[in-house]
Amino acid sequence: MPTVVLMDVSLSMTRPVALEGSEEFQRKNLAIHGLTMLFEHMATNYRLEFTALVAFSSLWELMVPFTRDYNTLQEALSNLEDYDKTCLESALQGVSNIVQQEWGSSCPCQVVLVTDGSLGIGKGSLRHSLSTMKHRGDDKKFPLPFPFPAKLYIMCIANAEELQSSDNLESLEQLLTLNSGGGQIFTMEGPLCLKSVQSMFGKLIDQAYTPFHAVLRCGNLSSDVQVFPRPEPVVIDEEVEPIPRTILTDLEIVGFIEIGDISSPPVLSRHLVLPIAVNKEVDEVGAGTTEDTEEDTSANQIAGKSPNFCVLLHGSLKVEGMVALVQLGPDWYGMLYSQADSKKKSNLMMSLFEPSPEPLPWLGKMSQLGPTSDAKENPYGEDDTKSPFPLQPKNKRSYAQNVTVWIKPSGLQTDVQKILRNARKLPEKTQTFYKELNRLRKAALAFGFWELLKGVAELLERECTLLPDSAHPDAAFQLSHAAQQLKLASTGDSQYAAFDHNITPMVTDFSGGERERM
Amino acid sequence: MRKFLSSTAKLLSSCYPLQFSLDIQTSWSYSFAKMKMFSLSHKTAFVVDHCPYMAESCRQQVEFDMLTKNRSQGVIPLAPVSKSLWTCAVECSMEYCRILYDIYPTNKLVNYIVSDSEFHILNSWNQEDQNTQELMSALAAVGPPNPHEDPECCSILHGLVAAVESLCKITEYQHQARTELMDRADRVSNRGRIVCLTNAKSDTHVRMLEDCVLETIQEQNKLAAGSDRLMQIQQCELVLIHTYPLGEDTLVSDRPKKEISPVLSSEVHSVRAGRHLAAKLNILVQQHFDLASTTITNIPMKEEQHANTSANYDVELLHHREAHMEFIKSGDLHPAGSTSRDSGLKETVTLKWCTPRTNSVELHYCTGAYRISPVDVNSRPSSCLTNFLLNGRSVLLEQPRKSGSKDPPSISEGCGGRVTDYRITDFGELMRENRLTPFPESGSSGKSPSERAKDQLERHTRYWPMIISQTTIFNMQAVVPLANLIVKETLTEDDVLTCQKTVYNLVDMERKNDPLPVSTVGTRGKGPKRDEQYRTMWNELETLVRTHVGGGERHARVLECVTACRSRPPEEEERKKRGRKREDKEEKSERNGKDMEAEKNWQETERLKGALEREKEELVESEVIKDSPDSPEPLNKKPRLALEETQLPEKAKGPVSLLTLWTNRVNTANSRKHQEFAGRISSVNNKAELYQHLKDDNGMETHENGKANR
Repeated sequence: MPTVVLMDVSLSMTRPVALEGSEEFQRKNLAIHGLTMLFEHMATNYRLEFTALVAFSSLWELMVPFTRDYNTLQEALSNLEDYDKTCLESALQGVSNIVQQEWGSSCPCQVVLVTDGSLGIGKGSLRHSLSTMKHRGDDKKFPLPFPFPAKLYIMCIANAEELQSSDNLESLEQLLTLNSGGGQIFTMEGPLCLKSVQSMFGKLIDQAYTPFHAVLRCGNLSSDVQVFPRPEPVVIDEEVEPIPRTILTDLEIVGFIEIGDISSPPVLSRHLVLPIAVNKEVDEVGAGTTEDTEEDTSANQIAGKSPNFCVLLHGSLKVEGMVALVQLGPDWYGMLYSQADSKKKSNLMMSLFEPSPEPLPWLGKMSQLGPTSDAKENPYGEDDTKSPFPLQPKNKRSYAQNVTVWIKPSGLQTDVQKILRNARKLPEKTQTFYKELNRLRKAALAFGFWELLKGVAELLERECTLLPDSAHPDAAFQLSHAAQQLKLASTGDSQYAAFDHNITPMVTDFSGGERERM
Repeated sequence: MRKFLSSTAKLLSSCYPLQFSLDIQTSWSYSFAKMKMFSLSHKTAFVVDHCPYMAESCRQQVEFDMLTKNRSQGVIPLAPVSKSLWTCAVECSMEYCRILYDIYPTNKLVNYIVSDSEFHILNSWNQEDQNTQELMSALAAVGPPNPHEDPECCSILHGLVAAVESLCKITEYQHQARTELMDRADRVSNRGRIVCLTNAKSDTHVRMLEDCVLETIQEQNKLAAGSDRLMQIQQCELVLIHTYPLGEDTLVSDRPKKEISPVLSSEVHSVRAGRHLAAKLNILVQQHFDLASTTITNIPMKEEQHANTSANYDVELLHHREAHMEFIKSGDLHPAGSTSRDSGLKETVTLKWCTPRTNSVELHYCTGAYRISPVDVNSRPSSCLTNFLLNGRSVLLEQPRKSGSKDPPSISEGCGGRVTDYRITDFGELMRENRLTPFPESGSSGKSPSERAKDQLERHTRYWPMIISQTTIFNMQAVVPLANLIVKETLTEDDVLTCQKTVYNLVDMERKNDPLPVSTVGTRGKGPKRDEQYRTMWNELETLVRTHVGGGERHARVLECVTACRSRPPEEEERKKRGRKREDKEEKSERNGKDMEAEKNWQETERLKGALEREKEELVESEVIKDSPDSPEPLNKKPRLALEETQLPEKAKGPVSLLTLWTNRVNTANSRKHQEFAGRISSVNNKAELYQHLKDDNGMETHENGKANR
């Protein structure tokens, strides 16, 4: 989940903060202090998050495009200059453009807006934007809600009382409501100082940037992992009381399935599964180095050299072309697989299926998937050429059962032609002739289309008269028999017009031997 | 057109149910194609007019005598046929149901009612009645309307009343939901739609029908209030379709949806029969069930006449609207100008077919899977596409490319990433053995198949070193039979025999001093000596077998076999030697001449074995020296610790005196040399058969082992 930090650099951010005895701070300094704290946290605990920095006043500027290099972000923070007035609408439009350009419209995103809560006056102010938004055309729509799923966190370098005295808090709350993806407004408690800004950003970190740690298990093999980006709670049903569901921190592998069998299933979200070393520094003897700077790399090297189950699993999944089915909670499953984004780099990924006992109909109920050794016969075949998947549906779909549709004349014409073609190759095609004839008969009876039955009967009678001298004598018998049967059916007489009744070939002196061979 | 690339594309997959999957780079939330369970679309009552008037021709002629043209001249083609209003109504309603059942195999139900002088209900709300074959069969029994019936007796009203009554009947799904919700059963709603195909006389007639439906709803709701099997209708949507022959003026005017009362809304469509009616119902089924259309273009197909040329075709599919959400959000959907030829002014999204790569089994990122139904199901292009997919293949479709795919870090950069000797192939083998397969649901209260799958994984991983240099036994072909069997939940007698044979074979290898595949990676200087290697191997084997000893008596017998046959740790070996010398002296003095020969044999073997061992140790040392210089890292400590731990309980197993050990062994060794032993045992213990089997299969080996190693 990439993050965009949207930093207010309008003049009002330079307002000094009253501090007793110490040096003078601007609100901007407090904001930078808070963001520094956020970036430091991400650099150590949330390393894979991509973050971009946008500064805005009446204009906006992308200071740092999406990066994992937190030094660059930090540097950009300290070089921010001061500009004119606050114009939030255009800045939000900017954020929208930046995210869509980089991530498209389906990638969830977090927007951290840092402002002093002075939202401008007159045209271009947030209040003006909000009051006019309903009267605009499609080309000048308000940027919220964003076209991508987004959480909006508003960090106010101001306390609640200050914001309430103006109606700015109300406007900000309106922003949150507009952004359907949710979010929160954070304000500072007590006097504006370094301590209170730290506590405010601490809350943001707890809320949005705590890493998700879990244990991945496969029987007795296991590994401590970080799941990134962290899986967000999922709300399942609209009808019954919605309860957000979170995945277990104990991820247990149920078994394995071939990639071809699971065949690109739909997923709610995708996550990297990164093995983590827990207390490795303490466990390993000789990890300590005299130089502090090397300590980190040394610990990393040691962690890199001790065997880890994730790496083993990843390697085998990749080589075998399989996925591991993993249980995420009651009636909730996901899959682990090797994902390669370029030829060199690949990683262990986990995708979450929709929480449901049967998220993928072609596998059936997940709880009914068991070990092949329990089956009487190996469902994969002795030579590994078979597969129990996909499961066949109880009722065949229309496209799998040769349905009859005559809505377009061509549908009807094709079916009549099939009968005629076979009629001309009697007696060789006796079986297919009657099969097609019965198919037409059934549909005509269901549609109450008796006129067609009469018509086809006439057609067959005419064919009979047109038979060449060389024709097999049986052909004439079968044609007139079929024609007669259709005529009987077209009377609606229950004896001949029963839907389940089939016209069978006439037994003639000539036909016995012929049909044996069919 | 923006950034169209063929590499990232939409995916059509072949899995049942034919799915339509979106292949898009990143996403977080997608919602499965699912409407509220008990929305209006849960129940649809079809009411089709079967009055004499419906027997009238729709006045659209269909040529069916086509083949005559390019054949014998002089044959006059037969007169074209014409469908009746009834036939048109039936086939269009069947098409509506076909699409509905394709896309919603469950949960969306149809109750089909025919109305003439009375009503005929052709099916029930039950799931097993929900398919087109059942309906076709029932329709055939009804037959076309009788044009000679008295029109005064006939009315669509009978059917409409029956439809309202039917909507009050609880469905299996509603019943199930009510049972599950118990005290909040009132939350289960009862809404429904009536689609009525009729020929109305006038707008006033239509008004009368609407009033009648409303009255019936009110009456039925009163009745339902006091019944368990009935539910009050909370909302009903009446869709009246007036259909009339081509060339006639309509007597009924179209009217958009209007609320007649809080419980009933109604709309009126006035449509000519035939293809106009078909197009109207196609639009309605999409509206009623949130469907949208995608046309796949440029499908290459072989021409029937010219097999070596191919032309491009289009196929239009219907699916849940949700499948287009990505396009709509990203602004890539341009409804204007993308219209379907077949369905009038309806919108369709056009996507290009990409020729599929063969044999590539790839996992595509997919944010949604949607069931599809071809608009023109039995046209040749449609059936070519669906058969292609039903045969297990998939199709990629072009779509706008999204950026934003950032490379993730490589797994080799993280924990365990620098280790190079993972047992990848072995774990792959384990994965194959732990592949899943579906089992039918059984009423038994035992463990679910997925729980059994987890249990199996647990057994298979009880002792499973992750890297090659941590294990000896798993690098040995000779151990494979035992290693594969011991993880089984239950062993057969044959399995036990195979395991025992494996152990005897190892004993034999040790006797012959065969080299072991001990990894020299990470060892400093000389590797362990051959006998030490064997001891490590035995320790490991015992650890493996011991983790399964709880599996039952047969598992325990395998462990007994290992502990009885394995070579001892050095201290024990040392004690054994000292003990032997002392015993030798004692025994020599006591022994009578009979045993002398056996003793001599044994000594001979020991001497020979010693000589062989020395020879081979030298060989090993030279090998180790060859391997060692590039491997300065110390041997990983973990596995050794693990082995030491597992050795402890064995050491503490209890006091068995050296004398007992010794006599047992000598007895065993001696007894094996005596021909009469098998018979004697069988006569005492009745175990002759089992022993016979062992001896038949492996007689030579056991004999040799007994002689050599004991």
